Amino acid sequence: MKNNVFPQVVKLSHRSILGMLRQPQSWAPGLFFPLLLAAVYSSQFSRAVTIEGFPFADVSFLDFVLPACVIQGVLFGSTNSASDLAADIENSFMDRLLVSPVSRGSILISRLASAFMYGVAQATILISIFAAFGANIAGGAPTIISIVVIAALLSVSMGSFGIAIALRTGSQEVVQSTFPLIFVAVFVSSAFFPVQLMEGWYGAIARKNPLTWVIDPTRRMTIHGFSWNDLGQSLGIILAIASVGVGLSIRQLRRRLVRAQ
Amino acid sequence: MLNPIEATNLSRSFGDIKAVDSIDLSVSSGEVFGFLGPNGAGKSTAVRMLTTLLKPSGGSAQVAGFDVVKNPSTVRKKIGVALQDAAIDPLMTGNELLRLQCVLHGLPKRSSSVRCGELLERVGLTVAGDRRVGTYSGGMRRRLDLALSLVHEPEVLFLDEPTTGLDPTSRIALWEEVRNLNQDLGTTVFLTTQYLEEADQLAERIAIIDGGKIVREGSPSSLKSAVGAPTLRIDVSENDLPSARTVMNRFGEERPAQKNRIAIGLISGTPGITDVMNALADSGIEIQHVELDEPSLDDVFADATGRRLEGGKA
Repeated sequence: MKNNVFPQVVKLSHRSILGMLRQPQSWAPGLFFPLLLAAVYSSQFSRAVTIEGFPFADVSFLDFVLPACVIQGVLFGSTNSASDLAADIENSFMDRLLVSPVSRGSILISRLASAFMYGVAQATILISIFAAFGANIAGGAPTIISIVVIAALLSVSMGSFGIAIALRTGSQEVVQSTFPLIFVAVFVSSAFFPVQLMEGWYGAIARKNPLTWVIDPTRRMTIHGFSWNDLGQSLGIILAIASVGVGLSIRQLRRRLVRAQ
Repeated sequence: MLNPIEATNLSRSFGDIKAVDSIDLSVSSGEVFGFLGPNGAGKSTAVRMLTTLLKPSGGSAQVAGFDVVKNPSTVRKKIGVALQDAAIDPLMTGNELLRLQCVLHGLPKRSSSVRCGELLERVGLTVAGDRRVGTYSGGMRRRLDLALSLVHEPEVLFLDEPTTGLDPTSRIALWEEVRNLNQDLGTTVFLTTQYLEEADQLAERIAIIDGGKIVREGSPSSLKSAVGAPTLRIDVSENDLPSARTVMNRFGEERPAQKNRIAIGLISGTPGITDVMNALADSGIEIQHVELDEPSLDDVFADATGRRLEGGKA
C-alpha cells in the first residue's frame, strides 16, 4: 500500500469543500451580508464621494466599497473551515484520521486549502454580482485576479487563526465566538469609509488596523488599475498575518498530537 | 512470534487519577478478546493507548508486532479501529467515506472501488451507500463504522463499545457481522463492552476491568465455573420429593428452592447433569421440569468487585 501525502491532501480538501458546500447556512451569510451592506451604503452614502478630502475623484461609491465587500464576505466565512475542524474534533472524526496512517500535515493543509477555495469562490461570486450592478474595475482581468488572490489568501490567513483555536479548544462554539472580533475589525478599518476622513480614536485605530493596509491598496487597484506595488503591499501584509496564524496552527496541531505520541 | 496484542504494566494517569493501572494483556492471533467493565473502568483509555491515540504513562504495548510508542505509524497501518461514538461525518455518504478511508490507507484507486463495493455489501449498506450518513439509523452508522475500519484488511480490529445505544435487533446483527469477520478472515478482534451478554456471545476470552485494573481474566466458561457450581433445579410430584432429594444430594449440596422443587449446586458442573437425570430415572422418579442455572458473568464481576454491572442479573 502506498502512502502518498498528495492524494491524502487532495481527498481531505475535497471532503472539506464538500462539507462546506453541503452546509449553505455556513457560507450564505458571507455572501448575503456584504451585498446587503453594499446596496444600503451605495444608496445612502452615494454622495459621500463628493465630500471634500475624499481620496478618490470621479468614483462611484459602489466601486469604492467593492474590495471592502469582497474582503468582508471572505472574512465572515473565514471561520467556516476552522469550525468544521472543531466539529471533527467534537464528534471524534479527528480520532478516525489520527488512527489511520494519514500524514498529520495533510489534516492541516486540507483545511487551509478549503479556506483558499472558499475565498476564491466567494470573491468571484461577489465581483460578478458587483459587475452586474455596474461596478467598474479598473485594470480589468489583472485587477480582478489580484482581488481574488488577495481574498483567497486572506481567507487562509484569518482562517488559520480559527484553525489554531479549533485545535486548541476542540470547540465549535469557541471558534464561532471569534466572529464578532472579525466583524468589529472590518468596521474599524477603511472598509466603508476612507481613513483620511476619520477623526479621533476611531481613525487612529482604523489607521493601525492591518485590514486597512490590505483594503487600501486593493481599493487603489480597483479604482486606478492594476499595480504590482499595491498587490505586493496587500500580499505582504496578508502573508505576515498568515505566517503568524499558520505558525500557531502548526504549534497547536503538534500540541494535540504530542498527547498521543 | 509475538501475539497481535501484548501489553505489560500498561498504565495511564490523568493527574492523580489512574485510569489504567498496570494492566497486562496478551491476545492470540485470530482470537476475539472481550474487555468487559462498567463506564469509567478504563476500557476506552486502554484502547486509545493500544491504537496510538494516547501515550501511556507507563509500561509498554505491542500491537501487530510493533511498539505503540516507538512505531506508531506502523501500528496504524495494521489496525482497524471503530471508536465508541461511531466517528462518522454526517455530511458525507457512506461511499464517499469509504473512498476517503481507502486514500488515507494508500489503497490504489482501482482496487478501492471494488473494495468499497464489497464492504458495503458485507455490512448490508449497498442500497444506502450513496445516501448521506446523517440519514442513517444508529445501527447503520455502526455497520458503516465497522466497514470503514476494514478497508485495509487490518490484522487487528479494535471495537470500542460497538453496540452501545443500539436496539436489540441491530445489536444482534452487528454481533453476527463480527463473528463472520473473525471466522472468514481470521481477524484478531479486541472488543470493549459494558454488556455481559455481548462479552459472553462474542468473546473467546475475557478480561474484566474495574477501577483501571484487570480483576479477572479467562474464557467465559472458566470464569463462570470458577465462581461456583451451577444450580440444578428439578420439579417432581410431592410423593417423589423425599426419594428425589436423597438422589440429588449425592451430586451436590442442597440450595434453597420453592415447594415441590429441589435445587442443588451441581459439583461436577454442567456435564454432570446426565448422571443426575440417569440416577433419578433409575430410582423411578418422574421429572416434571428441569432448570440449570449457570453462574453469569455478572456473578463473576460481583465476585471480583463486590458490585453488580449495570443491567446485570441480580
